[in-house]
Amino acid sequence: MSDVREALRAWVRDHNPDVPAGEPADGTRLIECRYLTSLQVADLLLFIEELRQAPVDPASLKPGVFASIDDICAAFF
Amino acid sequence: MEAPFPAPGAARALADTVRKLSASSRRGYQNPYEAIEWPDELDREQWFTSPELISLYGTPWWDDLSDAGRKVLSFWEAVNFYSLNIAGERFLMEGIAHRLYRPGWEEVAEYLHHFLDEENKHSVWFGTFCHRYAGKVYPDRKVAFPRDYAEGEEDFLFFAEVSVFEEIVDRYNLAMARDERLVDVARRINDNHHTEETRHLVFGRRIVAELWRQWSDRWPAEVVERIRTHIAGFVTATWRDYYNPDVYRDAGLADPYAVARGAWEATVARRDAITARALRPLVAAGVLG
Repeated sequence: MSDVREALRAWVRDHNPDVPAGEPADGTRLIECRYLTSLQVADLLLFIEELRQAPVDPASLKPGVFASIDDICAAFF
Repeated sequence: MEAPFPAPGAARALADTVRKLSASSRRGYQNPYEAIEWPDELDREQWFTSPELISLYGTPWWDDLSDAGRKVLSFWEAVNFYSLNIAGERFLMEGIAHRLYRPGWEEVAEYLHHFLDEENKHSVWFGTFCHRYAGKVYPDRKVAFPRDYAEGEEDFLFFAEVSVFEEIVDRYNLAMARDERLVDVARRINDNHHTEETRHLVFGRRIVAELWRQWSDRWPAEVVERIRTHIAGFVTATWRDYYNPDVYRDAGLADPYAVARGAWEATVARRDAITARALRPLVAAGVLG
């Protein structure tokens, strides 16, 4: 699971070049910090699907699943 | 409190365009259930998408496919193109319905009814093809988070997104309406969509320009910058939908996520050329530099 967390952290940093060093932590609020926007979710979802090598049914998504790296791991891995 | 939408001056400026577009919509009115003949079955080893517009065209994955494999891929690419149109039109119809008859908006309400009617028809065509011949519509992966907007910003972004989405789609529709290699039903869908979208594009260009003229001087610089950043993100998100791993999986390709990622990186120039044309109205309006 640590590899998944590190991969998610790298994805966030790749999409937000201004993220401070050490961020995002596992509990960082990605949406409130503007590290993740609505327009980036589809791309993140594809990345999650590739990491877990299985599709996600977008209709099954619950509110809050993208709130933090902890929440993403709990929901998808 | 919702902002007046648009300012009375902007609505009046649009009124002449709206009258002409409404008259054109009435002249070209179509029964969606008679406009296209639907064969009971279709052989998937035919062209449903112009090869040059297929997301893998010009990549190593394309080179490795047989002629039959390319045609099967063209079928699933068509299902994806129609699916992303259904998702885009659902967003559009929700937004138009939300704004119908808002105060100050009465003069353009007449055309909004045509807009809604025509978008609904397009979704009937796209949905019929997907369900009849593929047995499914590909799911939309977009998720909207609530956020705050400056006054007028949400309306402007809605119409800017609609304009960008439709300008890109229309490049595909126009090319495929003229492509005699395509199965007749695919040509007809693209041709009918292009014909009606031509009016929507005119409306979209006008209203985006009017809303920008109305609001841009009143927004602080950080809002203008935020809008420009949002549009750039919307362009990227729109294009992502054209590289759908579900398509590659259905077409029988191995490791569909790696294919999507590789094709995205390999076809930047093609996307950039279409994007440049699609953004011309926003550049002409002064929204983008």
